[in-house]
Amino acid sequence: MVNLIAKSPLWGQAPLVSAGVTLAEVDLGQVTSIAPFDMAVPGFPAPNTVVADGAARLVWTGRGQAFLIGGPVGDWAEVAAVTDQSDGWAGLSLLGAGAVDVLARLVPVDLRRLAVGDCARTQLGHMAVIVIAVAGGFELLVFRSMAQTAWHELATVIKMRGARLAC
Amino acid sequence: MRYSGLKVITQGLFGNKGWGPVWRDPAPKGEYDAIIIGGGGHGLSTAYYLAKNHGLTNIAVLEKGYIGSGNVGRNTTIVRANYFLPGNSEFYSHSLKLWEGLEAELNYNVMHSQRGLINLFHSDGQRDAFVRRGNAMINQGDDAILLDREGVRQHLPYLDFEQTRFPIYGGLLHPRGGTARHDAVAWGYARGADQRGVDLIQNCEVTGIDIEGGRVVGVQTTRGSIRARKVGMVVAGRSGQVAAMAGMRLPIESHVLQAFVTEGLKPCIDHVVSFGMGHFYISQSDKGGLVFGGDIDFYASYASRGNLPMVEHVMEAGMTLMPMIGRAKVLRSWGGIMDMTPDGSPIIDKTPVDGLFIDAGWNYGGFKAVPASGWCMAHLMATGESHAVARRFRLDRFKTGHLLDEEGTGSQHNLH
Amino acid sequence: MRITCPLCGPRDRREFYYYGSEDYLTQPALGDFDAIDAHLHLRDNLAGEVRDLWYHEMGCAAWLLVTRNTVTHKISDVVQVAGGGVGILAKMKPEEGAL
Repeated sequence: MVNLIAKSPLWGQAPLVSAGVTLAEVDLGQVTSIAPFDMAVPGFPAPNTVVADGAARLVWTGRGQAFLIGGPVGDWAEVAAVTDQSDGWAGLSLLGAGAVDVLARLVPVDLRRLAVGDCARTQLGHMAVIVIAVAGGFELLVFRSMAQTAWHELATVIKMRGARLAC
Repeated sequence: MRYSGLKVITQGLFGNKGWGPVWRDPAPKGEYDAIIIGGGGHGLSTAYYLAKNHGLTNIAVLEKGYIGSGNVGRNTTIVRANYFLPGNSEFYSHSLKLWEGLEAELNYNVMHSQRGLINLFHSDGQRDAFVRRGNAMINQGDDAILLDREGVRQHLPYLDFEQTRFPIYGGLLHPRGGTARHDAVAWGYARGADQRGVDLIQNCEVTGIDIEGGRVVGVQTTRGSIRARKVGMVVAGRSGQVAAMAGMRLPIESHVLQAFVTEGLKPCIDHVVSFGMGHFYISQSDKGGLVFGGDIDFYASYASRGNLPMVEHVMEAGMTLMPMIGRAKVLRSWGGIMDMTPDGSPIIDKTPVDGLFIDAGWNYGGFKAVPASGWCMAHLMATGESHAVARRFRLDRFKTGHLLDEEGTGSQHNLH
Repeated sequence: MRITCPLCGPRDRREFYYYGSEDYLTQPALGDFDAIDAHLHLRDNLAGEVRDLWYHEMGCAAWLLVTRNTVTHKISDVVQVAGGGVGILAKMKPEEGAL
């Protein structure tokens, strides 16, 4: 079979750096939806939190659902419905001291309250987003089909914030 | 007093000191032939046509607040007859004809302005739907003109025709559509009814409906009990509460609809423009303010005020359609309480209680219906039979399946 | 208006979809047309405290039963429909001004 060349959701978009904020595309690796048959299963994250499992992270993404990002499914298939979501989602990272101010213009959740290891499923403008608090900022997951729109929204806000700070 | 141009001039010369109150402020009598609960547009026009068309003058209109303090004083004043379904078409067509003669009829300037209404479309499928709607309007005897993109541009050059999400393909122009002065309609009908002997009783809240042996015999109010063999409930927004006094549950959920007015601007929007895909419509008042609104807030509410997400949504839609309004400052916004029915169409019908009638469920389109609603409700209350143009507005149509779902959105109150 | 989701915490109204009265939770018997009519169409439509179904559409996708005053928009309780409904007030102190 021909070896197809995978393209990232943003087609190799270069990072955007402005006024202390860096927006960049993130390669999420393997993404798997884990929906346990019994929600009390051990190892499943509490709402709005992330459980780290070595290099992999299990991110709570809704009632009875978490995304396993960057790792193999392992034993989860025995206790949960698992669905491969790789390539269905686009990853963005927004890092820097002003990241929370940028997102405040687009996300209707007080992200100052999120500590590393917390996450939130909410909206970025009008689109669904998973926000994960990481050291120095946030990782954002949006539907792959919305990747360009998300970038456009964020880039616009970053530019506007930069202009406001420069005044 | 009859109004005329000469009267205005002579009063102007002598300091406008000769104007008297436009209607009496009578105390309620102990008994009337008929009572209308609700002194809004629909209630007042019902009383007016009961007196004028049916010679019934021993009647009272009971109003909880003051005349015109409800939705007739807080709407976006659009008058149109561009409906598609049989049942709605003939009714709104009748209403528009009444509007066109209303100022002469009432001897009152309701500032009816037929500036033309344009409904925009943004796809081939939507154009086909508008062609059908336009044909239905023409079949009904009303007017409709299909405009292509350039046709719309001639009327509305300021729209953003190149927007990527909803590129403008064209529009359906309804030349006889337009606006009217909302308060003046209430005042004009109030004056007309009063002149024919109708008692308009303000600050009189109905607190109970007296029923004996399955027939209505009167009402209890904050100003004493009043007897009547015929009672009409015409209380849009509060229909559920008043009907509950008669032991009824209605197919109505009350929702809040917001609207907005900007500061006064020079004339720039000389039509009513409706951007259905963005839930946005706009016109310019004679004072110069841009009057615009969108969809209901979507949750049941009696709060007369909405929430910010819908404000943002309306502003976004407005900026998408006509970026030129971006610099206009919004002066005020408000919320009205809408009687939402499961099919988006109203109810003018008898109730299971003899002598008790209901006129309700106007969703967010009651203003344009004021003349015909009163005309048909008066006909129903006087003769006991539905008027020919309102015979499909039945209370039991949801149970029997004879819905009038103009938008085809399904049987959920807030979807219309 | 903010709704405190039992799973996600206080969230803006825009994340939620309003479905309608809690009447929708009760299934009428098949063939009982009066009951089906009442279930689909007839509403108490109270001006005061009501219990409505909301869906946390842009959040955790939980169906919620929200006790709310239709005159003041004050929300006094939110429970999950699934799992018998665990009240939020028992678990979480409402945020200041979280109405």
